[in-house]
Amino acid sequence: MTTGSRSPSLSMRVIAASVALAVLVALIFVVLIDAMAALEDSKQREAHSQDVVLETLAVQKLVVDLQSGVRGLVITGDERFLEPWVMAREALPTRLAALERLSVDNARQRRRARDLATEINDYIEDYTVPLVNLAREAPAAARSEVAREEGRTRTDEIDDRIDRFLKDERALAAASAASADRQSERAKRLAIAGLAACAALIALFGVYLARWIARPVREVASAASRVAAGDFSTRLKAGGPGEVGELTVAFNRMAAELERNRRELESQNQKLRESERRKSDLVRIVSHELRTPLASVLGFTSVLLTRDVGPEEQRRYLEIINAQGRRLSTLVNDFLDADRLEEGELELSRRVIDLGAVVAEQVQLFEGQSTKHQLDSFLPKKELRVDADPNRLAQVIGNLLSNAIKYSPDGGTVHVMAEQVDSIVRVSVRDEGMGIPEELQEGVFAKFFRGEADASGIPGTGLGLTIARSVVEAHGGRMNFESARGKGSMFWLELPVAAADQ
Amino acid sequence: MPTSAKTILICEDDQHLRQLIRVVIGEDFHYLEAHDGEEAVELALAHRPELVILDFMLPKRSGSDVLAAIRREFPPAETQVIVISAWPDADEAAVAAGADAFLPKPFEPQHLEAIVNDVLGDA
Repeated sequence: MTTGSRSPSLSMRVIAASVALAVLVALIFVVLIDAMAALEDSKQREAHSQDVVLETLAVQKLVVDLQSGVRGLVITGDERFLEPWVMAREALPTRLAALERLSVDNARQRRRARDLATEINDYIEDYTVPLVNLAREAPAAARSEVAREEGRTRTDEIDDRIDRFLKDERALAAASAASADRQSERAKRLAIAGLAACAALIALFGVYLARWIARPVREVASAASRVAAGDFSTRLKAGGPGEVGELTVAFNRMAAELERNRRELESQNQKLRESERRKSDLVRIVSHELRTPLASVLGFTSVLLTRDVGPEEQRRYLEIINAQGRRLSTLVNDFLDADRLEEGELELSRRVIDLGAVVAEQVQLFEGQSTKHQLDSFLPKKELRVDADPNRLAQVIGNLLSNAIKYSPDGGTVHVMAEQVDSIVRVSVRDEGMGIPEELQEGVFAKFFRGEADASGIPGTGLGLTIARSVVEAHGGRMNFESARGKGSMFWLELPVAAADQ
Repeated sequence: MPTSAKTILICEDDQHLRQLIRVVIGEDFHYLEAHDGEEAVELALAHRPELVILDFMLPKRSGSDVLAAIRREFPPAETQVIVISAWPDADEAAVAAGADAFLPKPFEPQHLEAIVNDVLGDA
């Protein structure tokens, strides 16, 4: 028994599909989380850039304070105007250090921050501090000094640096923002694609379940209802994956078994009906066949009991009663034998006997029974030893003789012959009677077969030959006949010679 | 009284039963015997018996066939028919087919005698 295609089992397929789905969903989430982290990172870098820009702008303002403080002092000579310079000079180192610290992640900006700090320090120490001292000692000289280009050049230089620094920092921030946008766009696309893939996979999985599990299950269910309704010839198309294949194979086996059982039951039922019919046939025939001789027995005894009958009639009536009684007894025995044959219970008490003697005895019994018939027997002097039940064989021979007489109503000679040929003992009984037409010969040994006997008014039950053949066959022998309409019949039987005599 | 003796046709395939019927009914009648259906019809038509004792199960032609043939030819008043059958429940069918009386087989001689006297007395 193969399951058709050696496909992996359904549970394996379902598990594999679920695992694939789970892996896909996990991948989608990993990508999403990654994209979100990148987005966060970009945002942070943008915010950081803003901080840097703010810090730079603060530094720029302090540089302006330096410049304006020094100018105020130089122009007015009033120490109060120097206040912004003092405060800026105090604040700048911290601010510049902070700016450098903030730029630590970008090497170029960091270098620039350091250069800017050096530049500003140089400006303070090399230019503004001497200028402040000069303004205090020689205000006029200081004023001419301020008028010179050096201070402006230096601050322009610082402004340029700051501008460049800011420009780069803004570019960095813009790049971060663009990167964040790209990241979020990519994450969105990936998520949509992943979800679409998930949806498609789930739909496919659903279709797969419907096609390979739900549909076969539905088919099995509808087939099962057909079987339940009595159609045992229902079969499913074999195949399908794994368990479905096994299910269809198991279902088909079950249906076949049910069908076989039903056929068996039907045939048993048929046999039972047949047997029932035979039994009722038997009862019908028994009751009918028994009634005729019974009517004679009861009628003549009643006549003898109630009427004055002369001695000659008395004897004749008693002979009739006796003969009809025997007929009843034979009938009853035949019916019993037929019943035993039916049940397969024919018992034989076998011993080694001389079949010739049995035949001679029967011939003698029948000789006196008919005036119209001549019995001509040819028996060997030698014993015909067979291992057999003598009473049963006597019954068989008697049946053949009685048939030979019954079926030659116009009289004639009945030839009886017994002989041994090699290891076979053969007995034949031939009559010159009506014979059996060819079309009826097939049924001769069938139970209750009467051929043309009923129509010819020949009494009987149609059991004699059935019983005779069964008896002969039970002895390991065989029995058959040759006949033609109007030409008489020859019935013969053959038995094996008793073992010791072979 | 051979000239005034009534004719009885016995249709029965068993010779002992034919003999029994004759013994029971007595010697005052003229008897005809048929051992099959064909013979029964032939004899009935040829001799117009006053009484027919008919076994319903006959070789060659069934008893009901014979009864139908008799009833086609003779009115019930002219020929009485007693049907004998081994089927005790054949009585209704026999009477429906035109039998005057029915006797199940086996029968008591007195019963047969009484029925014969009855139907012939009516005639």
